[in-house]
Amino acid sequence: MCAFALSLVPSFASADEPSLAEWAQRRVEDGLVKPLAELEGHRMSRARPPPRERHVRVLQTSATLDKGGHPFVSFAVDVRFGSEWRENDIVGCAYTGSGDLYVKKGDAYRPASFLLGKNEEPVAGVCEAVPARS
Amino acid sequence: MRRFFAHLPGRFFLVAMLVGSAFIAASSLAYFDFETLPAFVVEKLPVRFEALWLASLRVHVAVASLPLCLLLPTPALQRRRALHRWLGRVSGVLVLFALVPSGIVLAFDAKGGAVVTVGFLVSAAIVASFMVRGVTAARRGDVVLHRHAMRHVVAQMSVAVTSRVLLLGLDAVGIDPDVAYVVALWGPVLASAAVVELVSLRSIRPAVPLTERTRRAFYPLALLVRVRSLARPLVRLGR
Repeated sequence: MCAFALSLVPSFASADEPSLAEWAQRRVEDGLVKPLAELEGHRMSRARPPPRERHVRVLQTSATLDKGGHPFVSFAVDVRFGSEWRENDIVGCAYTGSGDLYVKKGDAYRPASFLLGKNEEPVAGVCEAVPARS
Repeated sequence: MRRFFAHLPGRFFLVAMLVGSAFIAASSLAYFDFETLPAFVVEKLPVRFEALWLASLRVHVAVASLPLCLLLPTPALQRRRALHRWLGRVSGVLVLFALVPSGIVLAFDAKGGAVVTVGFLVSAAIVASFMVRGVTAARRGDVVLHRHAMRHVVAQMSVAVTSRVLLLGLDAVGIDPDVAYVVALWGPVLASAAVVELVSLRSIRPAVPLTERTRRAFYPLALLVRVRSLARPLVRLGR
């Protein structure tokens, strides 16, 4: 009876709703890749020229929990300058609940807005999965 | 007209460098906006000594934005000797005590690794050593050596412009940015030093080469003219 009743309740995950990987890909593209492309330009600078193309890869199909119990998905951005693709130019994670994006710089993770020029400090504990218990 | 064409490459170089410097200065204003991080800084961070690195970058950019070393060789400033000397002293102090030291700090964290670090250090060594030689030559009144040394200083400073133009060109043809960065540094550093040596050789060398002068001296007509010029006073004495 209960199962019948539940089957009548409309599901939150409809057929049109994107998968977690698709959601993460779109989030990274809208929240990082597009703003980066809008920001970059060819200047008389020693900064690296903007790549011809960027490609987002979502590295997980299901979310992982960090130390605070917040679910996130890891991603990588590959870039192309000439004909060859360079993998993992940007590495980071997207939080499924808040939509927050973090990118790895050195050994630490900072909010993705750092790459857009905001002076953001590293955030401890983000994008780090809780070690599995044996 | 001939003189105009003889000075044309030098004038073209000067104008190109001034325009290039203006573009670099305009794009470097972002380094003094303390709220945001320019793309170059975002790319570089984290570095070992962040505060020192950022301070060095700002000092380097601020001093390099002053086109003093480009203006000093202009005829207008060379005619005004007192002004030339004073601006030269200011340039010397800024280059030796701000531009070169800050450049050395930046060189150790240059992207591209040891090859690029060495490239920047070689350029800094050329600038510092020739600035010292140029100043001491000027104090001795040795204008030829002063000019030669200052050409090296200006040539190495022009690397800032030529290197960036080369980076844009190499990117346009799809060269990998890491390879392009090394090529766009070492190429202009070595080429600038070589061009200065060639230009200095040309200016030190007499307008007429030795072989040509020898040939002219022993040309029969020239000998006749010389004999006549010797004989003429004797003939006059005999009259």
